[in-house]
Amino acid sequence: MSQVTSDSQQLLFETSHSSLHQCDELERYILQFKGDSIHFRACELITFKRKVQKIDLVKLLDSETPDVEIVHMPHCDRIFAFTIEDVLELKELFAGAFTMLELNSMIHRQLVRRPF
Amino acid sequence: MKDILRRHSVLKDEVVDIINKQVQMEAQSSAAYLAMAAWCDVRGYDNCAEFFFKQSDQEREHQMKFFKYLVDMECDAISPAVGESQHEFEKLRSVFEKALEMEIAVTDSIHDMVRLCRKVGDLATEEFLRWFVQEQIEEEYVSRRCLELFDVLGEDKIALGMIEERILDVKYDAAEG
Repeated sequence: MSQVTSDSQQLLFETSHSSLHQCDELERYILQFKGDSIHFRACELITFKRKVQKIDLVKLLDSETPDVEIVHMPHCDRIFAFTIEDVLELKELFAGAFTMLELNSMIHRQLVRRPF
Repeated sequence: MKDILRRHSVLKDEVVDIINKQVQMEAQSSAAYLAMAAWCDVRGYDNCAEFFFKQSDQEREHQMKFFKYLVDMECDAISPAVGESQHEFEKLRSVFEKALEMEIAVTDSIHDMVRLCRKVGDLATEEFLRWFVQEQIEEEYVSRRCLELFDVLGEDKIALGMIEERILDVKYDAAEG
């Protein structure tokens, strides 16, 4: 789904409405979601991922409470209201993207950083 | 593709979570020792109060060691919210019993952290925790020795006076022997 294309930007994972790229040149991650493009440093991405992971879907499904979760992203001064579908999509995106990042780390550890 | 994640994020999520919980526990312990110091101070046990003020400072130092470790590793260090501490105690001995219970809880928690580090293969954090494992041996020893003073001397007014005189001399020196 993503329009992010550049030699230094590589797709980590994508779902039907979101994608996450890594930009080697800027050392940033680029999230494409609902038509927005948001840049993250590594620590910011991890913080955002943890916020999304901590969202209680059961509580969101409870009819007594509003079915949106407000998430603030201070690094870009934006506030998002995520629906249940958004949260599910982001959880899937981060699960896939971080698996790819772990795999990349393993490849670097076993093949790239090994002196012999 | 560069390994950006490894460059900027050293610790695994579960290790970050458990260290943040420890930051909270150390902050809570520091606050609890302050409450104990206050209880002793207003009842005239000046040396016991000084003992607990020092303990409170130590717990704060431990908290900051964990906190700075997270920051150094470029991880999210969460400044903890501290809950209510126990301010009322039946007698001086109860204060020291509570102190020993707290130290045992901290020891258990540190050991859980070491076990987690071994499980996920985090050798750096395990090494970092080595100092805390040793520190807890000392902390528990001192708390236990303080409590033993009550067993040896009793709890009448003269005994409490003697405990008050001796409390600041309780030290851990077993490793030197």
